[in-house]
Amino acid sequence: MKSSFPIFLAVFVALGASFGGFVIGAISQLGTAKQTEILNGSGVYPVQRTGDATLGLQVYRANGCAACHTTDVRQDGVTCDVVLTGMGKNLRAVEKVLGNFNTNELPKIILHNATKEAADAVSDQITTAGGQVETHIIATGADISRGWGIRRSVAMDFLWDYPVQLGSLRAGPDLANVGARLGNLNWQLQHLYAPQSVIKNSAMPPFHFLFEVRKLNGATLSPDALQLPLTQQPNEFLPPPGCVVIPTEDAKNLVAYLLSLRADVPLYEAPFTPQQTSTNSAAEKK
Amino acid sequence: MNDEISNPKPQTSTALTVPIWIIALMLTLIFLGGVYFDHHSGWFNPKVYAPYKNAEELAFYQPLSGPGQLLAMGKSKYEQNCGTCHGTDGMGKPGQAPPLAGSEWVNAKDFKRLAQIPLDGLNGTIHVKGQEWNASMAAMAAGLSDADLAGVLTYIRSSWGNKAEPVTADGVKSVRAAVAGKPAINGETQLKTISE
Amino acid sequence: MNHNEQKICAVSEIDASCRVPLLALFGGAALWLVLGLALSIVASLTFHKPDMLANCAWLTYGRVQPAANDLILYGFCIPAALGVMLWIFVRLSQTPICLSLLPIVAANIWHIGVVVGTLVILSGGSTGFLWLEYGRGASVLLLAAFVLIAISAFATFGWRHHRELHVSHWFLLAALLWFPCIYATANFFLVISPVRGVAQAVIDWWFANNLIFVWLALVGIGTAFYFLPKFAGRMLHNHYLALFAFWTLIIFGTWCGIPQGAPVPAWLPAVSTVASALLIIQLIAVAKISFKTVRGANTQCKGGSFCFVKFGTAAFILSGIIFIAQACPQISRIVEFTWFGPAQTQLQLLGFFAIVMLGAIYELLPRIMGFELPFPKFVRVQHWCFIAGLVLLVGSLAVAGIEQGLKLSNPAVAFADVSNATLVAFRFSTTGLLLLLLGSLLFAANIFVMTAKWKFGLLKTCIAAVKAPLATAEVKS
Repeated sequence: MKSSFPIFLAVFVALGASFGGFVIGAISQLGTAKQTEILNGSGVYPVQRTGDATLGLQVYRANGCAACHTTDVRQDGVTCDVVLTGMGKNLRAVEKVLGNFNTNELPKIILHNATKEAADAVSDQITTAGGQVETHIIATGADISRGWGIRRSVAMDFLWDYPVQLGSLRAGPDLANVGARLGNLNWQLQHLYAPQSVIKNSAMPPFHFLFEVRKLNGATLSPDALQLPLTQQPNEFLPPPGCVVIPTEDAKNLVAYLLSLRADVPLYEAPFTPQQTSTNSAAEKK
Repeated sequence: MNDEISNPKPQTSTALTVPIWIIALMLTLIFLGGVYFDHHSGWFNPKVYAPYKNAEELAFYQPLSGPGQLLAMGKSKYEQNCGTCHGTDGMGKPGQAPPLAGSEWVNAKDFKRLAQIPLDGLNGTIHVKGQEWNASMAAMAAGLSDADLAGVLTYIRSSWGNKAEPVTADGVKSVRAAVAGKPAINGETQLKTISE
Repeated sequence: MNHNEQKICAVSEIDASCRVPLLALFGGAALWLVLGLALSIVASLTFHKPDMLANCAWLTYGRVQPAANDLILYGFCIPAALGVMLWIFVRLSQTPICLSLLPIVAANIWHIGVVVGTLVILSGGSTGFLWLEYGRGASVLLLAAFVLIAISAFATFGWRHHRELHVSHWFLLAALLWFPCIYATANFFLVISPVRGVAQAVIDWWFANNLIFVWLALVGIGTAFYFLPKFAGRMLHNHYLALFAFWTLIIFGTWCGIPQGAPVPAWLPAVSTVASALLIIQLIAVAKISFKTVRGANTQCKGGSFCFVKFGTAAFILSGIIFIAQACPQISRIVEFTWFGPAQTQLQLLGFFAIVMLGAIYELLPRIMGFELPFPKFVRVQHWCFIAGLVLLVGSLAVAGIEQGLKLSNPAVAFADVSNATLVAFRFSTTGLLLLLLGSLLFAANIFVMTAKWKFGLLKTCIAAVKAPLATAEVKS
């Protein structure tokens, strides 16, 4: 082989193919996407973030939060629950299908964690007998069981973001739904200022440079001032006596962005049945 | 390194070729990869995300609207499409549209006559709650899906004091098929000829 | 003059023509390697004592870690690669380097770009995209410098005496074309004219994979396929299999890189999985060639360049196997988003690429400078420092990642417990980084003392020329 032309050809073909597939293909399929309709609901998704949340995304980017946190919930599977909501007029027929039970307990889950085929079969039986049932679609997965989300993250969740900060490492918990499960402004600010004060043994560094410690001097307490816990002994997180901790603009914007992070709306590509109460667990489980 | 004197030309190799087993392995992996792609990729469909394997499975797992969701969606579609004339309180507008609250047409046990009105349109005279109405209504549901219209009808049949059974998307679908291509209904008499 | 003597002079002249450009590249590279590893240690401190650097925005983990990674890649790996490529081209062409001013200027532009980029990241101006954090200004400088060096390399290639292509020509020429294409494309679609939504992430993953896996493999394997036969004193086993390895690398390798849990339609991770499975072929080919070329060779290693290149090639095979495993959905379910990913990246960057480049540099440095290394024993010490450091760093992060992944899959384990379990691993990984830093300091010592010696030698020649008695003819007149 004397000529170098085959090398040029090889690079052109190989790189051109993946450029066509991953770059052009991704742009044409995902980069031209528009808002989509919420499944079985009204409204479009996603709505643009507010101004301070958009600035907060830039603070997130500048400080490299994506180096430790992801905003990407995964889903391993999907199951169905069948819920009996009404006995209808023919109680006997429904009880024949289900067996005896206390009708004061409605709505009642009569089939849990089933495949859709099994759920449809039971549902048809009950409907024929005159009862009313609902089939609930539930997304399952390790991230979802942990309370980090109700469904998997999809492309629509990031439609308005620049830059998209998906993250690749979970040195800290996933943040895709943090606005829904840890939505307290003061908690978020306190967690940024002194993570160990709200989560014992947290590995997150305190972001003191996002806050100012100012002397009070008898002046009125600013409404922005951080309410730090006073009950811990010894409380090394409190500022020196007579001082308060005030979040800077960056801190406030960053928290606005964090509070805007939610991915809890059902979509066609990630369907689920919204429950009345939140299925996300409380603050301890993160 | 002894490159200076002993080996003037760039190194060439012995006259071996690519072993056949590696080509065979590559072809096997290409085949298996193709099978995997067929089963897991959704064939480039932008809506298919793991764990769903294809568009059919995704459609299969779409939750049917439960009563609560149907109502919420029906309410919003009603307010967008019907509320201007019939009022968001269902009281109608004099000279424009009859009320839906307490209307015998809305509360009828069988929904077929009611469903035909937005699907087909209605001209001529109709009596609602003892009053005579002579407005004309276009086929407002032409652009609504079966599920959407079912939601709207369910909503109006359970709001403002109305107590009638919900309407399913399948029911709307059969009525829509029955009226396809027919002109608007002319007056109450023709409406009453529709079998209950 | 007989034919052999002419040949010897020609070779030393060829080598000497590379001296200034390569020293410009390697000197900066050595400095950035030291600085990059030092910053990695600073970054890892946050896991030992989180509040250590809490008041300093410039040293927060989220800025220091990307800065350190970029310093190792753009500061050390790519300039070292360019220098080694230039030398291999020069040796294969058997002509002095062409357009030698271009690499000298370009090396300086490159190092300025690295400085600018690192300052941009530390001051909070990072673009937020993996391996593209440097931003617009620095990227333009880096791209321009690379293209200038590529021009010089292509010119040198064009002037070759023996027109027949060597296997390394395939790998290295492709690499010279590959980087500017992917770098310009990624910067265009992410920084200059950004695309909407998650397409940004897809293009970023495409770029990261094509750089960290494909490009480093092209240069590293191309270099290894040049040096291993020379060290072993035999020919490269199976020229056609080597070309097969080249083709399978670029055709299949370029499609990998989309993570399994990505928020993108299912076809993207599925394509990556299939492509990663096909990479097994490429790994088998490289392993067979390397093993057969080296096995039974007469030369002993003794901790020298041969050891470096052998270890690096073995690390490539291991890193490739881990890379393919990560693309398998069942395995990815556990190890995705854990420290397992950074372990594989560090193995690829440091364990494979940096070591192969170091082996190559130690082999070519005495030849281009014309005298031996000032501290030859440091090479052996560095060899053991690097191997021990890598085992500690990669091994501990990999184990931590697997443990973290298994615990994360179990919803009953609280997150704080998960992260606490990995803290033990960091003691080992930071120790590993310290050993690597020590090794890189030894490398820097060799290069800087060599440069100083050469410059001092130049100075002495200049002074001697000034002091020398004038020729009698001139004095008389």
